[in-house]
Amino acid sequence: MGHWGWLIAIYLFLGGLGAGAYLTSFAAEKGLLGKTTNLNRAGYYVSGPLVAFGAFLLIFDLGQGLKKPWLIINMFLNFSSVMTWGIYILSAFIFVAFIKGYFVWKKKQAPGVLSYVGALLALSTAAYTGMLLAVVEGVPFWNSYIMPVVFVVSALSTGLSLTSLLAHFFEKHQAHEARVTQVHLGLVGTEILALVAFFALIYSGSQGAVAKVSANLLLTESLAIPFWLLLIVIGLVGPLVYYLQLSRGYKKSTLLSEEPGMHGEAKQATRSSAKSGKLSLLFDGAVMVGGLTLRCLIVFAALPVWNGQIG
Amino acid sequence: MSQNKRINLSRRTVIKGGVLLGTAVAIGLNPMKLVQAEETVTSVATNAKKQIGFSYDEGKCIKCKACVLACQETYKWEKDTPWRTLLRSKKGDVLSMSCNHCADPACAKVCPVKAYTKRESDGIVIQDSSKCVGCGYCLYACPYHAPHIQKKTGAVSKCHFCYELQDSGSGPRCIGACPTQALTMGDMKELSKIGNLDFKGLPNPNITNPSMIAIPK
Repeated sequence: MGHWGWLIAIYLFLGGLGAGAYLTSFAAEKGLLGKTTNLNRAGYYVSGPLVAFGAFLLIFDLGQGLKKPWLIINMFLNFSSVMTWGIYILSAFIFVAFIKGYFVWKKKQAPGVLSYVGALLALSTAAYTGMLLAVVEGVPFWNSYIMPVVFVVSALSTGLSLTSLLAHFFEKHQAHEARVTQVHLGLVGTEILALVAFFALIYSGSQGAVAKVSANLLLTESLAIPFWLLLIVIGLVGPLVYYLQLSRGYKKSTLLSEEPGMHGEAKQATRSSAKSGKLSLLFDGAVMVGGLTLRCLIVFAALPVWNGQIG
Repeated sequence: MSQNKRINLSRRTVIKGGVLLGTAVAIGLNPMKLVQAEETVTSVATNAKKQIGFSYDEGKCIKCKACVLACQETYKWEKDTPWRTLLRSKKGDVLSMSCNHCADPACAKVCPVKAYTKRESDGIVIQDSSKCVGCGYCLYACPYHAPHIQKKTGAVSKCHFCYELQDSGSGPRCIGACPTQALTMGDMKELSKIGNLDFKGLPNPNITNPSMIAIPK
């Protein structure tokens, strides 16, 4: 059985995080995250370095490839291997993300095609991190079409969180767009639904008995504490409740500001939303903790379709 | 007015986002289909080609381990990363198993450096350790735990059906060492008429179509 552990989990997380950060800045640039957004740069800056660093970590998980690094170049060879696709996708994404980052840094308009190609490669990178595991029939727990969906949604969510955090600390212009909260609410909600579907599929028995044993590790056995505490409570349900409250608050303050006699309360609402901006940093961190936990748990819960015993 | 404008903008951007998402989903799904299509093509193709395989008769096995020892002596693999093992259960079941040189080898499909080749002439799956980077992907992919990473080299190695011995006209070492002919080999066209590898807790043979049959006692 394989030996994948922390390094692979962190690599899968960073791959998703970098891809999500790129897509956040891309969405902001295209006006999808509100008019006064400050998320249109930070994600571009960190996306290339994050994915490159993740790929660099991967080298240390290799056996002979670490001793004879020239062998690594052959990883471009087998087109039937999802890992080979990943090598192409990641190389292309890192390349494009660095170029795009350079344009943004120099405050120059990057060619439109470049940004779109980068976005496409970012989505492919996020999907690839899930596909790498999902195609392995030898590990029934991974071998699910829902796996890449969970990974892509988590990548978008963690990417949005990281970009928001960075923008808060490094951008002079601060903005708290209701749209960002709505998008994040949607992402966290979708991730919860995708995870429910993922486990429902496993417990329906369609992936065999071993997949259920893996799922049990997460839900009730040795990995239950990080699963429920770090992933579900801190990483998903906490942020879900927070974003839900926040988006209700935004609606209320919009309503208030539309009524002429209520200016005082409206101002108060705006002030409280600025305060909640600080709180949202905490939840951005929580979303990323959840994202890393998700990758670790999925890698650690892998059980082979056959345990090597007879009888 | 401003409300209208905002909705217009969002509609356009939503469409753009939808197009991007659609493309990504297509990218995600198409390769899956490609892999599956490839799988069916190769399995049809390999069925037509010659495929040799192992045959194990549990009733004849005296659990002497001569097969394992002969293999280890010849290829000097590390003890905890074996090419061939004699599996035993508490109930007294026994099975000698190595790489099964599957008709649809999952190891060869996932290996990024193409260290695995499946010979056209007899279907033997040969792994070239000198190409291996030791990523471990094949260890997850193989349902039978045939590939192992040797600690000393950091590279995967596994049973290659003694292809060099076979090419020079003699048989594999394990089969030659078996005193009771519990372990034999043959053409899978003939062997599959006698049995399969749906044996006492082993994984579903449909995953990789192993070229081995095991006859329970």
